[in-house]
Amino acid sequence: MNLKFCITALACKALAFGANLLGGGTDRPGSIALKLYPAVLKQLRYDGKIIAVTGSNGKTTTSNLIAHVLRQQGYSVINNEKGSNLTSGIATTLLCGATLGGRVKADYIVLEVDECYSRFVFADVPVDYYLVLNLLRDQVVRNGNPDLVLEKVAAAIKQRPDCTLILNANEPISQQLADCGNKCLYFAMDKTERSTDTCISGTHDCKICPHCFHKMDYSYYHYNHLGLFRCENCGYQSHEPDFFGSQVNFAAQRLLINGKPVDVTYNTTFNMFNTVAAAAVCCAASGMSVEQFAQGAKSFHVAKERLDSFAFDGRKTVLMMTKQNAASLDQSISYVLEQEGEKTVVLYINNVLYLDYKDISWLYDVAFERLQGKVANILCTGNRALDAAVCVKASGFTEPTLVYETDVEKTKEAFRKTKGDIYILAASAFGNEGKILEVLKREDH
Amino acid sequence: MKTINILHLYAEAMDLYGDKKNLEVLCQRIQESGAQAEVKTCELGEKMELDGVDMVYLGHGKARNLAAMAPHFCSYGDEIKTHIEDGQLWFVTGNARELFGREFTTVSGEKLPGIGLFDYCGIENNKVFVADMVGRAAFDENLRCYGFANRTACLIHPNGNPYPLFKEAKGFCDGEQEEGCEGTLYHNFFATWAMGPVLVRNPGLMREILRRLGLDPSICDFSLEERALQLVLEEFKDQEKEA
Repeated sequence: MNLKFCITALACKALAFGANLLGGGTDRPGSIALKLYPAVLKQLRYDGKIIAVTGSNGKTTTSNLIAHVLRQQGYSVINNEKGSNLTSGIATTLLCGATLGGRVKADYIVLEVDECYSRFVFADVPVDYYLVLNLLRDQVVRNGNPDLVLEKVAAAIKQRPDCTLILNANEPISQQLADCGNKCLYFAMDKTERSTDTCISGTHDCKICPHCFHKMDYSYYHYNHLGLFRCENCGYQSHEPDFFGSQVNFAAQRLLINGKPVDVTYNTTFNMFNTVAAAAVCCAASGMSVEQFAQGAKSFHVAKERLDSFAFDGRKTVLMMTKQNAASLDQSISYVLEQEGEKTVVLYINNVLYLDYKDISWLYDVAFERLQGKVANILCTGNRALDAAVCVKASGFTEPTLVYETDVEKTKEAFRKTKGDIYILAASAFGNEGKILEVLKREDH
Repeated sequence: MKTINILHLYAEAMDLYGDKKNLEVLCQRIQESGAQAEVKTCELGEKMELDGVDMVYLGHGKARNLAAMAPHFCSYGDEIKTHIEDGQLWFVTGNARELFGREFTTVSGEKLPGIGLFDYCGIENNKVFVADMVGRAAFDENLRCYGFANRTACLIHPNGNPYPLFKEAKGFCDGEQEEGCEGTLYHNFFATWAMGPVLVRNPGLMREILRRLGLDPSICDFSLEERALQLVLEEFKDQEKEA
């Protein structure tokens, strides 16, 4: 291996070690390494298989579940578990896991990869399995619309014709990636007690067929435009799945995958889907059985940064994190609606990203109407609290149910004017997510 | 009770990022103003019936969807132009504006005809352009409005924008420049690149639409919307001072 690689890898490892000690991010070391040596990732040699996971929703959880199950089965695994999914974060993960000779000695490398950055990652990293969970409208400022994201994901795949695709047969937009010509495996989920005949989500990205633009028919919906679909005009439809989730029992936190029972630790529709997808990847990539997958999956827990629970003034308080993603927020609303007792929903909405955009158009794609009559209060906070309140008002809420507080520092007082358990649906700028927790957990003076 | 007949064009194909809430909230406001709204839709392949329609709404959509709708839309070009010249109220957002120019170029380089109501041409470049915008409404220069664009296309006016909806716009315009004129206001034809809930977040614009529909918006309570908009506009002033 060349000296330049050794120095770059060593620098990356040292910076990552320092960042870890000082609580810094995981992007920076890789970013510096790529500046020092742009072709650094091309120098790596892999002992094991590389799995990449992308999609608008569920990347972090699903890739962590895959890594967890593989480890439980005794494999050595390297993964970007904190969700640093851009090229620089992936560079940090890979270089820290590599020897100074450039070998990545792990049975599996599991990489959560940003949809739009996958084409850059795939240029340097020979991905063996590529799981595409779903493509929905997401983070409008970064991504534009799902068609644009689809093109970028397809551009990644075209660089790796030998890569096996694992596609969602309940999602008509990303299922089009089969057109790339790679070997494909499909996963899907049967109708559940939460499935609906019509789309109850605030948004639907595939009302018309992406091939012929005629009306798309759905036998049922899981959420948004995910469901069993068929276009009567051109015949484009849900592919027959290789991995199929059925008899989903949310109360018991259990489902069958290809007829075998699998227990999960978090009972949302999102998570059931993620579990089927993870099973497809684990079984396809390692040859493990669904029973072996189930053995590993039962001890998996969703990262606390995404779902946290604590007490505020003795009231049960749950924090659910999303990033300007209406589908994710709609699922959080579904979760809230399933909880018993009096409750308040808190919307924590800030300017979009570091560029300070004042847009909250994505929030208008959320079906807040579903909370009508089901919550004691909706409290909007964050620097876009008033705009969020206007949005919620458009869904039929009025004062005194609807309240707002633009100053997050005063959030505690606003919370105390509300009733019941608290569900914080937080969608904020990167790096600012923790502010509301900091305020709530701070001692009163 | 007066009925306002609204035609929502390509509701299934042309709907991105909160756009449909413009129409939903407009219907609420129509009701608050003492009238009722009746919304019909016209999708690809269906007959477009413009007679007896008080307002036509056409929203922003994916570029591929826009290109797929264009031939159907243009087949009604003469009828659409006649109704707009006769004062029919239209509200058009985002890339749907491309349909009203001479032509637009898709990302693959294909040139598709528009209905030629305006002299501009559209160009799809597949690059995401994102910006906030504030501007003064052409129908009331004391009224400042806010919009947000997230687009992959722009409009080229060969001789400048003769009928802007927003003047002194800062943030985005019809073309690639970031200051100048934005949108179209021609008779009762309103169009803007501001996507999403532009009518909801701009009560002054909503009032103007209601007035042009022959309704009295003074009955409606816009206080929350006004406060929210003022805060946004103040933030822009602060940013300008900092700059």
